[in-house]
Formats: sequence, C-alpha cells, structure tokens
Amino acid sequence: MCHALFCFTVTAPDLPILERKNWLIYLLYVRQDYEECKAVIKEQLQESQGLCEYAVYVQALIFRLEGKIQESLELFQTCSILNPRSADNLKQVARSLFLLGKHKAAIEVYNEASKLDEKDWEISHNLGVCYMYLKHFNKARDQLNNALELNKHDLTYMMLGKIHLLEGETDKAIEVYKKAVEFSPENTELLTTLGLLYLQLGDYQRAFEHLGNALTYEPGNYKATLAAGSMMQAHGDFDVALSKYKVVATAVPESPPLWNNIGMCFYGKKKYVAAISCLKRANYLAPFDWKILYNLGLVHLTMQQYASAFHFLSAAINFQPKMGELYMLLAVALTNLNDAENAKRSYEQAAALDKSNPLVNLNYAVLLYNQGDKKGALCQYQEMERKVNALKESSTPDFDPEKMVEVAQKMGVALQVGESLVWTKPSKESKSKQKAAGSGKSSSSQQPLGSNQALGQAMSSAAGYGKTMQLPTGAGAAAPAAKPPSLPLEPESGSEASPEETSAPPEAEEERKEKQQSQEAEE
Amino acid sequence: RAGLARPRRSLLFPRQQIGLPCSAPAALGAQRAGRSWGFGRRCCSCPAGRMGLDPLFHAWSYFRRRKFRQCSELCSELLERPPGNQMFYFLLYPVQAAWSLKTRALTEMVYVDEIDMDQEGIAEMMLDENAVAQVARPGTSLKLPGTSQGGGPSPAVRPVTQSGRPITGFVRPSTQSGRPSTMEQAIRTPRTGLTARPITSASGRYGRLGTASMLTNPDGPFINLSRLNLAKYAQKPKLAKALFEYIFYHENDVKNALDLAALATEHAQFKDWWWKVQIGKCYYRLGLFREAEKQFKSALKQQDMVDTILYLAKVYLRLDQPVTAMNLFKQGLDRFPGEVTLICGIARIHEEMNNISSAAEYYKDVLKQDNTHVEAIACIGSNHFYSDQPEIALRFYRRLLQMGVYNCQLFNNLGLCCFYAQQYDMTLSSFERALFLAENEEETADVWYNLGHVAVGIGDLNLAYQCFKLTLVNNNNYAEAYNNLAVLEMQKGHIEQARALLQTASSLAPHMYEPHFNFAILSEKVGDLQRSYTSAQKSEEAFPGHVDTQQLLKQLKQHFAML
Repeated sequence: MCHALFCFTVTAPDLPILERKNWLIYLLYVRQDYEECKAVIKEQLQESQGLCEYAVYVQALIFRLEGKIQESLELFQTCSILNPRSADNLKQVARSLFLLGKHKAAIEVYNEASKLDEKDWEISHNLGVCYMYLKHFNKARDQLNNALELNKHDLTYMMLGKIHLLEGETDKAIEVYKKAVEFSPENTELLTTLGLLYLQLGDYQRAFEHLGNALTYEPGNYKATLAAGSMMQAHGDFDVALSKYKVVATAVPESPPLWNNIGMCFYGKKKYVAAISCLKRANYLAPFDWKILYNLGLVHLTMQQYASAFHFLSAAINFQPKMGELYMLLAVALTNLNDAENAKRSYEQAAALDKSNPLVNLNYAVLLYNQGDKKGALCQYQEMERKVNALKESSTPDFDPEKMVEVAQKMGVALQVGESLVWTKPSKESKSKQKAAGSGKSSSSQQPLGSNQALGQAMSSAAGYGKTMQLPTGAGAAAPAAKPPSLPLEPESGSEASPEETSAPPEAEEERKEKQQSQEAEE
Repeated sequence: RAGLARPRRSLLFPRQQIGLPCSAPAALGAQRAGRSWGFGRRCCSCPAGRMGLDPLFHAWSYFRRRKFRQCSELCSELLERPPGNQMFYFLLYPVQAAWSLKTRALTEMVYVDEIDMDQEGIAEMMLDENAVAQVARPGTSLKLPGTSQGGGPSPAVRPVTQSGRPITGFVRPSTQSGRPSTMEQAIRTPRTGLTARPITSASGRYGRLGTASMLTNPDGPFINLSRLNLAKYAQKPKLAKALFEYIFYHENDVKNALDLAALATEHAQFKDWWWKVQIGKCYYRLGLFREAEKQFKSALKQQDMVDTILYLAKVYLRLDQPVTAMNLFKQGLDRFPGEVTLICGIARIHEEMNNISSAAEYYKDVLKQDNTHVEAIACIGSNHFYSDQPEIALRFYRRLLQMGVYNCQLFNNLGLCCFYAQQYDMTLSSFERALFLAENEEETADVWYNLGHVAVGIGDLNLAYQCFKLTLVNNNNYAEAYNNLAVLEMQKGHIEQARALLQTASSLAPHMYEPHFNFAILSEKVGDLQRSYTSAQKSEEAFPGHVDTQQLLKQLKQHFAML
C-alpha cells in the first residue's frame, strides 16, 4: 500500500488545488498522529467540497483503525466513485465488506478489482480467505496458491495451512508450514504452529526444535512455552516444566490448559492434593473441557476416591461420549464402588468404542476373573492378545508399557492354570492377591512408565479432539445417543476397598497426561 | 474458550436493623432519668389502689420487658385522666413521667441503629459533590475500586458487582452498590431491576424503616411538633433527651430535632457531648458533612466513645476518604483495644477498596474477639470459596448453621461448597432446602442459577439448560443466566440464539465482561469484525486484565491496520 501512497504524492508535480495538502495528510497518517490528521483532512475536504480523493481515503483508513468499519466502507465507496479506475479503492471497499462479515459481497468486489489489476497477490489472497469463510475450500485453496505464485507471504501460508487443517489433511498442512518457515524463519507464529503439528504427529525431535526456535525469537510466547513445558513433562522433567509454567502463569493466570498442565505436573511429582486443586481450578475456568475432567477422574482414582472419580468421569463422558478409555476408567471406578454389573456394561461400551486398545480387554478380563467368570476372562484375554499382535504388526514403536505386559503375563498364568485344572481354590485366591499387591506397587514405583506411549495417545486424541471442536454440530448431535446407562451413585466415597477389589484398578491406571495445547493448536 | 459466568453466591443477610437496643449512651441517659421518676412516683401511689400496682410503674415494667405497645397505651390512659384524680402533690411529675415514658416507648418501637443504616439515594449518588477529590488517586478512594492491590482473586474467578468490586459474602446497605456512572445504572440496583433505590435518602428509606410517621393515631399525633415550645423543653435536659429521640426517630423531623438539640446544647453550655453527637447526626442527615465532622470531633474530645468514632468514620466514608476513616478506626482501637465494631469497620473498608486479603485478616481478628460474628464468618467463608478452598468455606458456613442462621442464602452456599468440595450426597438436599426457604423470586432465581452450575459440573447440559431457564422464569433480569444460556446454545451450534441472548445479557449487566467477550468471540467467528471489536473493547473496559480479550483486540487491530 505504501507504493500506492507514494503514487498519489509523486504523481502531482504541479499540485492542483485539491491535492495540495496530500503530503501533510500522508505524513501525519504515517506518524499515527490521527487527531491532527483528521483536522487537516476536514479542512482539505471543506476546501475541495469533498472531492479530494486522497483525503477521503485516509479518513476511511483512520475510521477503520478506530473500528468504525461501516463509516469507512461508505467513504471508500465515495473514493471508488471519485476514481473508478483505481483497483486500490475497490480493494478497500471489498476489504471493508470482508471485515463486516459480508463475504459474498466482498468476493464480488474483489472479482471486479481483479479485472482492473490482474497481478495482485493481495486480491487473490483475500479472495481465498473469503472463500474459506464461506467454506468453499477448493476455491480458497486455488486462490491462495495463486497468491503464492504471485508473491510469497507469511499470511498466505498461514491461511493455506489453516485450510488444510480444516479439511483434516495434517500432512499437507505441515508441508505448507515447512515452506513458510523456510521462507521466513523468524516468524514465531509459524514456528509454533509447525511445532504443535509435529507434536500432534508424535515427532518430538522436530517439534522441540521448532518450538525452541520460536522461544529463542520470542521468549514470552505463551503457546510455545506451554507446548515446550508439556514436552518436558512428558519426559518426566517435572521441575523444569513447572518453572516454565510459572513464567506463563504470571502472564496468563486464567488459562485452563495451563492449570491442567500444572496439575498433571504435580500429579507426576505425586503431590496429589496440589494436583487436584490445580485441576479443579482448570475445571472451574473451563467447565466444558472433558480432558480436564478426565485428568481429575484419573487423579481421584489414584487417590482411591472412587465416588468423586465416578462423577468426573461421567461428566467427561457427557461431553465426549465417543472415547473408549473414558468408559474404561469409569468401569474401574464402578468396580471399586462394588457395582460390577454396570462396570461390565461400561467395559463393553469401552471395547465397542475403542477397537485397538488392549488395556480395555485386560482390565475387563481381570474383573471377570475376580468375579469368577473364567470363561469370559479367557475370552477377553484372547481378544487382548489379538489386539496386541495387531498393534505389533502395525509397528507402533512406542507401544510397550512394561507394567501392562507384566500384569498380562500374570493374568495369562492364572488363566492357564485355570484351564489345566490344577489349581485349588485357596491357591488361586492367594495368587490373585499377590498379583494385586505386586502390580499395585509397580504402579506406584515406576511412575513415569511409557510416557512416550501415553503422550502419543494423548496427542492423537488431542488431534481427534481438535476435529470435533471444529464441527461442534456433529458432536452435539451425537452426544445423547451414546450416553452411558445412568448409574446410581454409591454414597460411600473413599471407603476402604477390600483386597479382592484392589486387584482390578492398578493396571488400568495407564498414565495419560498433557491434554493441553490441542486448544491452542486449533485456534 | 467462551467464558461461563461464574457461580455466584449470595449471602444476603440483611444487617440487623431493628430492635437491637444499641449501647448508645442516649438510651442510657434517658433510662436513668426514667427510673428516677418511677421511684418518686411509687412512694405515693399506693393509695390510688388499683390491683396494688401503680399504673406508672406497671407501664415502666412493660417498657423494660419491651412491650412498647402496652406501655404506650397505659401511658396514654394515665395522661388522659383528669388532673383531679391525680395526687395533689407532685402534681407535675407523674404527668411528665408518663409523657416521657410514652415518648420513649414510641421511639423504641421504631428505633433504628443509626450507625449501620445508610442508604444512598439516587440524588446523593449522582449529585455527589462532597468528595474531596473528584479524580482521586488509586487506593485513596472508594470510587475507583479498579486495581486490586491485595492480590485477591481476579474477576475471572470471583464475580464482580456493578461497581467492579468482587462480590462479597455479606450484603450491607450501602457498600454493594458503589457509585454508578450513569443514571440508568443508578436506577437499576446492583443485582436486578426489581427494587429501585429511593430518590433521596431524606424522603425514602428513613421514613420507611421507621414507619411510625405513617401510622396514624385516631387522636392525631402524640405530640404536635409545630406547637411545641422547643426553648422551654431545652431547659429541662432530662425531658429534652427523650423528646429529641422521639422527634428524630419517630417523627423523622430532622430540622426540628436539630433546633431542639441546638437549644439544649446551648443550655448545657456546650459541655454535654451527647448533644454534640446528636447535632452531628442531624447534620449528617441533612447532608452537611463538614459541620457534622466538627460536632463529632468536638464530642470525641470531651468523651471517648466508640459510637462517636463510628459516626465520624461514616462521615469520612461519605466524603470518600477511606484512608482517613481507617486511621480513625485504628486510633480508636488504641483506646478501645479489641472493639469488634472498629475492627469490622476496618475490614469493610479494606473489602470495599478491593483489598480482599487484608480484609480477611481483619475479619479473622473480629472472630478472635467475637466468634459468633455473622458478617465476619460469612465474608471469610466466601473468600475461601473463591480462592479454591471450598472445604474450608464449608466449615465456616456450617458454623453459621450451628449458630442458628437458617435461611435460603446459607443453604445455597452450603450446597455450592458441598458440590465443589465433592460432598455429593449433601449437595442436592442443601439446594432443595434453599429452594424451600426462598422468600422471594430473586432468591429462587439465585438457587436455580447455582443449580445450573452444578448441572454443568456433572456434564448434564440439558439439565443445566433447564435450570438457567428456570432462573429466568423467576427473575427476568438475571444477566448471568442469559450469558450461560448463550454459551450452552453456542455449544449446540445455535449461533443466532446465542447472539440474541448475549445481547440481552450485556445490556442488562454492562459490568460483566463475560457477555461482551463471548459476543466478541462469536462475531469474530462469523467474520463480523466490527461488532467483535466494539464488544471486545467493552469487555476490556470491564476487566482490563483479561488476556484473551487483549489477544483478540490485538488480532482485530492487526486486521484493521492491514491494508
């Protein structure tokens, strides 16, 4: 636009009376001395009886800066009447329409402008953005690519990447962002977005690289700090992560993801009460976020406050009815509340929703086994093995929580013993108890187990979450259908669980953390 | 992202206003006088011989037992008796005694503690020219609660009132309203549009609280003020005090009361501090704060009294000099260590200046002196609730329950605390009882609103929707409920409904940032950046520290600046 401004001033060698003060207006506008500028414009317009195009133009720009878009649109329209040959005027009219949310009208005007000026990246870019708002993604992509050919620009890359994300093509989005980062390596926003995308895909090395770069260029970047902190958290560096969060907390004290992460840091450090209070604050700030509720449920399960855990988990299910793991945790809570019937139903629901997670079947098997239903347990056990094998075949590298394997082996032993009919009743009891004790210990001692796997899961679920967030109608419509059976609440909360009961939960507590930055990512 | 308005708890205990015979020296002095007449009469009344009990003494006994109606009836009987039936000696005294006793009985019937009662009318608020500095520095004025210095919870956690103060645990007559900036805000009360404030205090609340001037006696008023020779009564200090209180409280005729007091203090050669305090009270009512200050100060010089300090502090608060008032309280505490009303006064000032944490400290001091102080317990409880400690808040509210407070607000708060402290078994029963105890529709609306929050907490959005709807049925001006309904509609994807609801909410409660911010977000999503910008600006005005608003504004400004 600066070019355009110069054009006006330079192309007037013998200044006609109308244009006499253009230089002054320009100077004041560039200095951001808007009050003065307005006064000069007023004078100029009075002299010229409103015919000075440049004065009207700058006045309109000032109005826009003040947020008075409607007035500025009218002035730009006057401009384009005064000088119908200028593409700039039309572009500004279109832009005003765009800012007012009238995308269709804006597109029409932009098309007209493009007739006057074929090779303008700005027109193509803005057309693309308008199409994006109208959800014509194909046209939008074409226009944006067009703009990129004409002139490379960060903003165009951003929009293109956003469109790819909206369509769910993460790979293509990453390609776009990569090119963008090559083009302008110091743009922190691009760096952060790319880092977060890598994080979602589980490529920690590159994610860390990009986020680190973003932080070097802009140490106070809230999103990048949060993401970097969460990665440290994933690797068990809770103290470092906390120190990162401390910086963010002073800047953004009301951010729910931040409090969620801090809470999970404390959880990792086994400060459960602090964890609960942080998570509760997060929940207070964002009552609709199921991830916070999930974490709250998990922490309460660890604290053996099963009734509270049940509440948080059922609330989470109400908000996110399509996630198997929630049902699994709910089942664990129900088992501890002595409601085996509903626990079974919950497990079944979990298995139906989550086809690939062997933990569901393993926990179900343990429950059935403890109930004395050996056949069912065996069935679930085999199902679990099948899933594990399937996972191994698909070569998910980071699927191997040791504890799960350990428990699964014990379970297998117990079941096979059952098959060969060598066991006697007391021995089986003692075994299951022993197993319970062992697994319980392992859950408390080797705490940061399989953090990579957990993170991967968290990320993938985060990606899924991002998708549902953008299509709220679909999620809302599906919500009531998959509602869990309404379960009566057991009043005895925090009561001591009997030794038989403790055998079920520990292995279920596969730790899942850091469900943040999905919100950031989709913004 | 969209901010749900916070659950608000409303402990609206009205301050105890009527019936407490305050320890004011006025009451004491008059009592003494009354007693002496009683004795004087007794020795000669036995011959009159009715039931063996002298009627005047009987009346006196009624008065002591706070049966003021019977007392005044008996007194009027005595007064109506033809003089011939009276004893021939001490002729004057019994008449005077009965007259004085009746005056006092009538006064006591409508007595209102003058210290606590303070309702600013619209006129006082809008046309307030008493403040020393019109543009005060932050931290020295009650008008700009603005920046919180005490590290209290931010508006995102603790809801604020119309004037921008965090909501308190205890509603007091004058504090909650603050000073509104526009006439519309002044007419609307902080919570709702249901109860308007009086136009001016002189005509409104005082007259209504002491309803006596409205009650008509069949024989006309007991004392005809216009025919009273004030100068004559001012000569008799004992009678004059009772008469003054009658004129001040019962007749609510400040001008005549002031005349009487002025004459009386002249008669006492300006040596009676009691009269000075009374003159100060009259001046205060008339809005002559500087004169009132002079009188109270001079009274304090003669006699150190807690009451006088409280009156003087009230004057300073009215002049918008909270720091002076606080110093006064502190000086008072040096002379009366541990005086509850003084500590409580300091705590209130801190709270009004948005300095929540030190207010809590002082409230704790109050509790050390008087562990049944309802206001202190309620304020500390709500403070704990909003700083993420619902368990501790629950303990305080339980204490209130043990003390015998039994009302809708308390059960409402108990229910909320129970829910947030995960005592799920008690939550719903508490709310049920709160609903049962609700005295009016506004209270019912509050309870339903909080129930809506509970429903959101357990993830049952349909129930939440219904609860908020019920809130609106009970109180059509409940801005928070409109906002939350809009958020729920947004969740369902009904943009148009959400927009309409948000507009209603923001017009009803311009002091809340949530509806503005939500509207800004909504418009931004649709692409209507102009409206988004104006709403975001309003939101920033209501809550300058809100990071999301700031980010949104930054984004929008970039949009606008881009060519």
